[in-house]
Amino acid sequence: MATFHSASLQRWLFSLPPVEYALQHIRELLIGSLKCGPIPQHIAFIMDGNRRWARTHHVEAVEGHHMGLEALARVLEVCYKSGVKYVTIYAFSIENFKRSKYEVDALMDMAKTKLVQMSQHGELFDRYGAAVRILGDRSLVRGDVLEQVDKAVEMTKDNGSAVLNVCFPYTGREEIVHSIRETVEEYSSPPVEEGRKKRPFSETRIQRNIRKGHQLDCVEEERDDAAGSLLQARDDGVSDADTTSTSSTSLDDISHLAHPPSSHTSQSPSPPLHPTSNTFLHPRPKLLARSKSPHLPDPESISAATLTRNTYINCPPPELLIRTSGVNRLSDFMLWQVHEETEVKFINCLWPEFDLWKFLPVLVEWQWGRKKAGWSGEAKVA
Amino acid sequence: MVVAPQQARAFHTGSDQHGRQLSAQERERMLKPYLPAPSKTKTPQQSQQSPRAHKQRVRPAIRHMIHSLIFTIIHAFFSLYIRFRQAYHAVVDQVLAILYYHHRTPELVKRDVKGLTKVPKHLSVILQKRDRLDTLINDACEIAAWSACAGVPMLSIYERTGVLKHSLPHLHRRISRTMTAYFGANNKPSISLRAPHMPSYSPPTSPDANSSLGEHPHLTILLIDASDGRQTLVDLTKTLAEMSQHGKLAPSDISSELIDAEITESVMGEPDLLILFGDKIVLEGYPPWQVRLTEIYRVQDHAGGVGYHVFLRALCKYGQAEFRVGR
Repeated sequence: MATFHSASLQRWLFSLPPVEYALQHIRELLIGSLKCGPIPQHIAFIMDGNRRWARTHHVEAVEGHHMGLEALARVLEVCYKSGVKYVTIYAFSIENFKRSKYEVDALMDMAKTKLVQMSQHGELFDRYGAAVRILGDRSLVRGDVLEQVDKAVEMTKDNGSAVLNVCFPYTGREEIVHSIRETVEEYSSPPVEEGRKKRPFSETRIQRNIRKGHQLDCVEEERDDAAGSLLQARDDGVSDADTTSTSSTSLDDISHLAHPPSSHTSQSPSPPLHPTSNTFLHPRPKLLARSKSPHLPDPESISAATLTRNTYINCPPPELLIRTSGVNRLSDFMLWQVHEETEVKFINCLWPEFDLWKFLPVLVEWQWGRKKAGWSGEAKVA
Repeated sequence: MVVAPQQARAFHTGSDQHGRQLSAQERERMLKPYLPAPSKTKTPQQSQQSPRAHKQRVRPAIRHMIHSLIFTIIHAFFSLYIRFRQAYHAVVDQVLAILYYHHRTPELVKRDVKGLTKVPKHLSVILQKRDRLDTLINDACEIAAWSACAGVPMLSIYERTGVLKHSLPHLHRRISRTMTAYFGANNKPSISLRAPHMPSYSPPTSPDANSSLGEHPHLTILLIDASDGRQTLVDLTKTLAEMSQHGKLAPSDISSELIDAEITESVMGEPDLLILFGDKIVLEGYPPWQVRLTEIYRVQDHAGGVGYHVFLRALCKYGQAEFRVGR
């Protein structure tokens, strides 16, 4: 009871106009002074502890989520005012669908209500200049919520100064799987031909010239009439292949046609030029049939950057990941982005209680660590 | 952002004191004082207002000075605070290191972990190569011995550069020697040391491997480096892309289960507990797929490198046990 009274006294004190005014200005001052040091470009939050907060305060779980949303608003304000460009929040995990239907529905309704309100206040959101992006597996979201999501994303998409990434049915593993799937899809369909310009050189002609050079070599070396006829025949075969396939056939592609799939990845252009390679003459029909689109990109060119490009989150990896509620796990959040340089902070307070006074020490400590490391990030930017 | 009570209620429920639903305009009016000034739209007007131009230049300059002053003060106090905190933690670490020492005796380690409700089935550590390879190998040996004492069946050691991987036989010899120092020559646990994409290294001559298998649990040690993280996923993608190009697989076949099975097969499964011996939590390229639900442990402001008390505290945290000072 004493805590209740002191809490209400505190609330009364803080709501006095002069106190409120002073607090507001102290906040502004602190945020302004934070900006004098290095500021992380990207911060990610795992908003954990809403339900536990509700349980300890003997209210319904949904009310806990409401308070969590309020905390989020506070934190976002601090972030954007202090110059953080990207904020990523873990709003809803795919695993959360396993919770009670009542709670999931309530969460969805809350998301919808807030999104509707957001789209009513379009120009107010423009003042913060934050673009909202929703990341995750959209197929799992209810239709009416999805509609509001799209509306909010569409409305804020022109805001360039900051980005709010909302991970909504998201898990880190699902993101990696999604990225791999996208990459595989990308590599199993031929690239778009629009990018290619018409060049004044014909590849067929170049091939012919190369072959001519070889022909001369062969004749000089072996002085064999048969070689000449063989090469002549080969020449015909190639020109046939040229006419059957699309106009721009490179030497590499021919080598792909002529060789079994095991050597598919070896990128050596020498085999087709070898005068005694007879397989070259008659590519096996099975392979020819399969290679309806002979311009598939080489899988060897896939790199970590390719996978990063295909993830949901389209911004630099976060410098700071903050997880509240004292649980020391990543819980399947941003695995691909976070496992390299990101500093992870586990904070021992529930998300609805997270505010500037809890956030500030984290930021200052981060700045301090950065300063100790020689302002390396700042030097790179400058 | 502190809001007045009636506004807080409005924020919660979307209605005012009388329970009436608020319209969009009312909400906007309520929010207006808390929003930042619409700076972007006003800038062209400000440039036109020449008489007040000097004011606009001086004020931000003063504000900036105040801000940098406060920034300096904050950081001065903060570094003072953090020095004290570090000193405090260093003292605590030292005390714990004296109180909890293994004395190379498995019984002591066993007693330390006796009260735990659970011991991780798969323990993982991140080690850093500071200066010499020898200290790194030493640390790895010690951790292996503690894990064997505590009854951990699987230990994976992550080291970014992969130097440990390349000295596999040497490391095996050293670990074996450390185990002898702990358990004695006769009843030391059998160990197998391996690294992904490398043949498992078993001792060439293990005279009583079969007899000791019964009484002492087997410890599997896995050495991983940065190439087992992203690069493995990239390699898997390459293979899948190639299969898809040859029509052996449709992109829709790629599922979380498939990738999990492949990654588990080629590298390792999910560790239960990950111990960091640094002062901040940076994963340094640790395999991303596997850390999903791993409990991550580090000691705040710990600068002393690998220590038995850190290991023990991590196990205690994982086993949900209170870490009591004094036995």
